[in-house]
Amino acid sequence: MSDIIVTSLNAMTLISILMLVSMGLAIIYGLMNVINLAHGEFVTIGAYTLAMVQAWGGNFWLALAIAPFVGYAFGSLIEVVLIRHLYQRPIATILATWGLGLVLQQLIQLAFGAAPLPASSPITGALTLLGTSFPAYRLFLIGMTIAIVAGCAAVFRFTNFGLDVRAVIQDGAMAESLGIDTARVFRRAFGAGAALAALAGVLIAPLTAVVAQMGVNYLARSFFVVTIGGPGTVIGVAAGSGIVGGLETLFSHEMPATVAQALVLALAAALMLFRPNGLLGSAAGSR
Amino acid sequence: MKKHRRPLSSSDATWLAGAAVLFVGLAVVPVSVGDYDLATIRDIMLFALFAVGLDLFWGRSGILSFGHATFFGVGAYGMAIATVKLGLPGGFGSIVGLGLGTALASLLAFGVGYFLIRGGVRGAYFTITTLALSLIAQQTAVGWSSVTGGDSGLIGVPALGYDELRFSDPIAQFYLVWGVLLAVSLGAWSVLRGRHGLVLKMIEDNEVKAETLGYSTSLYLIVLFTLSATVAALAGALYATMTGFVAPDMLGLILSTEVIMWVATGGRGLILGAIVGTIVVSELQQRISSVDTKLWPMFMGLFFIAMVFLFPDGLLSVVWRVGALFRRDKPSGEVRR
Repeated sequence: MSDIIVTSLNAMTLISILMLVSMGLAIIYGLMNVINLAHGEFVTIGAYTLAMVQAWGGNFWLALAIAPFVGYAFGSLIEVVLIRHLYQRPIATILATWGLGLVLQQLIQLAFGAAPLPASSPITGALTLLGTSFPAYRLFLIGMTIAIVAGCAAVFRFTNFGLDVRAVIQDGAMAESLGIDTARVFRRAFGAGAALAALAGVLIAPLTAVVAQMGVNYLARSFFVVTIGGPGTVIGVAAGSGIVGGLETLFSHEMPATVAQALVLALAAALMLFRPNGLLGSAAGSR
Repeated sequence: MKKHRRPLSSSDATWLAGAAVLFVGLAVVPVSVGDYDLATIRDIMLFALFAVGLDLFWGRSGILSFGHATFFGVGAYGMAIATVKLGLPGGFGSIVGLGLGTALASLLAFGVGYFLIRGGVRGAYFTITTLALSLIAQQTAVGWSSVTGGDSGLIGVPALGYDELRFSDPIAQFYLVWGVLLAVSLGAWSVLRGRHGLVLKMIEDNEVKAETLGYSTSLYLIVLFTLSATVAALAGALYATMTGFVAPDMLGLILSTEVIMWVATGGRGLILGAIVGTIVVSELQQRISSVDTKLWPMFMGLFFIAMVFLFPDGLLSVVWRVGALFRRDKPSGEVRR
């Protein structure tokens, strides 16, 4: 019994991590349809923000507050310099953002060295839940994820910014003629996606090694999460993360972790052939 | 249907002349260099073969495969597993390995191509899925250590050959690779300039129209993808017999990235461009890495960004364009494709 609880809590931790990383991508890829292969590096930037803040004597909560701004600054800068010029050229976007990711990785490595940086969580110890003890930080992570995802959903549903983004994505020309500055909306949406990824980076950092290449681990998985779930819906991200994270935890019991990841990616790719628009997307048309 | 042989046009003549210069140039290399450089140039020609493989698909369909190292790696691993792991009798182990490696890669490519291309997956989405394929393959190679040797890979792959008759001599290996590269390049070129090449070009321009005219566009693309992967696997299998080992980065994302860079430098769609691109970039890589190995990934990144903005048709297209200024009889576009 306690095995089942631990396994499901582990699964929920992984699902939370995936949801956090994928929320940003759901905006950039799911809504804006930009294939940003540098998305993993936004996560890395968040993790390094935590490591730096702690190295300078700050604490975790300060980093958690700063990271979204760092991510937003990077994201909107990259949108203006690079992405903006490539909206009509998807393959060019893939190549340019892949190149950008390589450059960012090398710059981070040059600045901070190849060795993993220490990043610690503020919450230590374990909580006893239904008779089993579980690390408290992971429970905090799960809680934070729920809060962040709910927050995003609220922003998109109830704020003017959310309304603008939805309008621009549905019909850019019409939105523009109604007085919405579409270029600005795109810049802010891209920045918001990067900010979410950086926030995810801070929350993930205490659980993994903070190295320049850490982002690549999350890149392919988050793309699959977003496509499995269907473009641009919060519930889709949750469903996608649930499937990818759940299966991966389950398989990890039976085989090496790398093979489990490979198998899940393969299954995810196969799944998408039958539901090209995602589990929750409409059946018509294909991507 | 009656088969038409297209007469040689002047752009075909340019291509053949370029090929002759390139291959004669490569053929005299062993006269002038030592064993170490010979092995380096042999490896570069194998990578060029791999690049020709990618160019077959990307160049002719316009669909970018971001996971082509998977096929190179499967070819190499097929060879290594047949000779090292299965312990086939020394006589024909490497020949079985060549067959196993290329067959596995063709099957994989056919399977992936069948599901993706028949499923209507094109463009950017195909690119992402093949990128994941490269990740999956690399993780499998690392994780499935009882077969693949895990992180450290497999060592002790013998030279290609039967019994005593082996390509173990550096000069013999060099000319083997030279011959394969020449044969594959000529074969690819003559197929692509023929009827099938024209159909593929039509598919790139307007797939719906091609389908409406009665061509099975999915079938064309699947066959092309499989052929392209087979060439990549052939390069990989030969590479394993010459370096004597396989390792997980032979199916990884970095190699997938590099091969895109080789083809892109030469300008996609020109078989010769892929070869020249590989030579130019490999030379550049050695110079940059000799300053500091860490600079190379950074350079690759900057290259990709620069390419998208400055030379989307390849670095050599700049040369073509300058050349076209001096030729007034035809537009530069016809030379490139």
